[in-house]
Amino acid sequence: MANISKFTDKWVLVIDDMEGMRSQLRMSLTNSGFAKLHIVGNIREALERMANSRYDVILCDYSLGEGTDGQQFLEHLRTNDLISRNTIFVMITAEQAYEKVVAASECAPDDYLLKPFTAGQFNARLEKLLERQQFFATIDKTTDAKDWTRVIAECDKSLPARNKYFIELCKIKAAALMHSNRPQDAADLYREVLALRPIGWARLGLARALGQLGKKDEAQQLAREIVADSPQFMAAYDFLGGQLASSGDKEAALNVLQKAREISPGTMNRIRELSTLAVSTGQPELAESVMRQALQKHKYSPVRQVNDYAILSKALATQGKADEALSVVADARKDFRDEDSQIVLAATESVAQRAAGNDELAEAALARAMAGDINILPVGAVTAIADACFALGKEDDANKLLRHAIQNNPEDETIRSKVHDVLTAAGKEVTEADAMIEESTQEIIRTNNDGVRKAESGQLQEAIDLLCEAADRLPNNLQIVGNAALVIALHLAKNGDDPKMLAQCLRYRDAIIRKSPDYPRLAQIDSQLRQLKK
Amino acid sequence: MNDLYAAVIHDVKNQLAELALRLGERADAQQEMSIAMNAARRLSEMLLVIRQEAELLSVNPDSVDTGDFLAILAAEYRELFPALAIDIDTEHAPAFAFFDDALVRMALSNAMHNACRSAHSRIKLAAREQDKMLVLEVADDGPGFPDGMLKNDGDTPASVSNRGTGLGLYLARKIAELHKLEGRCGRIELSNDKGAVFRMFLP
Repeated sequence: MANISKFTDKWVLVIDDMEGMRSQLRMSLTNSGFAKLHIVGNIREALERMANSRYDVILCDYSLGEGTDGQQFLEHLRTNDLISRNTIFVMITAEQAYEKVVAASECAPDDYLLKPFTAGQFNARLEKLLERQQFFATIDKTTDAKDWTRVIAECDKSLPARNKYFIELCKIKAAALMHSNRPQDAADLYREVLALRPIGWARLGLARALGQLGKKDEAQQLAREIVADSPQFMAAYDFLGGQLASSGDKEAALNVLQKAREISPGTMNRIRELSTLAVSTGQPELAESVMRQALQKHKYSPVRQVNDYAILSKALATQGKADEALSVVADARKDFRDEDSQIVLAATESVAQRAAGNDELAEAALARAMAGDINILPVGAVTAIADACFALGKEDDANKLLRHAIQNNPEDETIRSKVHDVLTAAGKEVTEADAMIEESTQEIIRTNNDGVRKAESGQLQEAIDLLCEAADRLPNNLQIVGNAALVIALHLAKNGDDPKMLAQCLRYRDAIIRKSPDYPRLAQIDSQLRQLKK
Repeated sequence: MNDLYAAVIHDVKNQLAELALRLGERADAQQEMSIAMNAARRLSEMLLVIRQEAELLSVNPDSVDTGDFLAILAAEYRELFPALAIDIDTEHAPAFAFFDDALVRMALSNAMHNACRSAHSRIKLAAREQDKMLVLEVADDGPGFPDGMLKNDGDTPASVSNRGTGLGLYLARKIAELHKLEGRCGRIELSNDKGAVFRMFLP
């Protein structure tokens, strides 16, 4: 066979719970010339394999027995960046499941193989997919690095040819524009695609772009139309629910997600949103039942997160079922042993202890949760601690923590929306939450601008003091860290070498390179440092 | 239709598919594989018809390269009917088209299967643009469609003929019709021209 040489060096992972199907796929793949094959029966084994090898192709059956299905697994892989965008993920489905997979297209697989399929069809498809993989290699690599500027530039190189990948290139570019906070350009591109054909993902993309542009009504209206036209398009429900929740209409948001859940039980992300909304709209019973059911279904599955137990525990504590809330925390501790999880669970425990009337234990648990370095906390831990602070009446601590999270991650929409959730769940009005987030953002922008202005007017030492204090406090805020490094470099270039200051400058510079190797400010910093060497 | 019936059809279909895969691994059972595979396909179609009649079938059009699409279809049937020559003509096809890959593939698979069984030695697959519609064509060099079928165009599911029960044709028509754009909707056309010609028009 002509394609044998194409396949021999490709690493393939097959995930199928049916023994018969596994051995058939093994034989088919071997006959087609694949030599580097791993075949597993469940996603736990799959993840173990993936931790040690990088696969070119993953073939996954949609139906994997009782627990987590292929689509939920794919969502888990994508949201946690566990596979490269360049890895070909093929979902093997039966015809009934096909629509569920297609319609969930938020995390679409690269291709679907509908059972039954022949070896010939299988090979021909893989050949096309590998051709595609090669075409998108650079774009996928920049996507993996979340280097959106380069993703856009690479797409722009290929778009003018209007070849067979044109629409897909538009899709990737539009997503990159959204990530780069260019919603107007993204909206224009989505409209360009929609002029060719009203494709579902482009309509939803446009709705998202409109939402980010602040045109909330238009965004909601479009999302409602998508849901009406394609009731199976689950991502549209999730978006609409999110929009409604962020505009304060939590009841309506909950209704939308409930409707989505009736059509498809859905992914853990939806369950999380839904049960969080249920708790904050005063329906902890609903949250309890939805989350319990999901955790039961995904028992032992890696798609569970420690925060799922936090949500369940909170739902129980809110109902006064303090003992159950505590036992959920104890259960979670058996499965989640890493440090970040301990922090989340300590915060969760403090809420449950409070509900049980054990104020001292509640305080102690919260103190444990707050003992670590807040700069390295994942967003889930930050929100859990803030939640607990509010529950224990420590509103100042909660606000301080949330303010810090926003200022430390100025570009991160996820963090902003999570902070918003925590604030409104704690009883703040939407306008109040919006104002607090906006004020936190403005405060750090002012600090940055003050520093830059001082540097420009020659007050270098003042600029250094201001920006370095902020940079040490907010090490993830690249704008601050970058400007801090720059003003030190300017100072050194002007006043000559100072080993201590140079070390500080290089420390900031290294931190930037680790996070964003193409950060624009780097060139300026380096050019100042080069003057120093002369 | 009872859910239980659908579940049983589904199970039997999967068993047939597994049988087909196993037969496919043997060098001496290509014909048997083809039979089992076709039987599994027929059950797949039936499940889709059930979904269609319950108005549960929806199309998800996205961009598809017709060249790749037909190449995959051809590769599959070259394996099932190794004696036939299958040509692809996409000279007048657009760079990219929009339709539901999986559903249209299923519809064309059926047309392809019938063509392969009736063909003398050659099948031609073609894609082109005509009057703002995409035309997907399966033409064989066999005896052509019987008159009764030419009139029916897959209107009813049970026009039993030497080319099958008509279920596949019925489904193909429904799948074509589900593709709609600006007031236009898809259709299929059957004709005879030195053999049977199946055409699917998609807006």
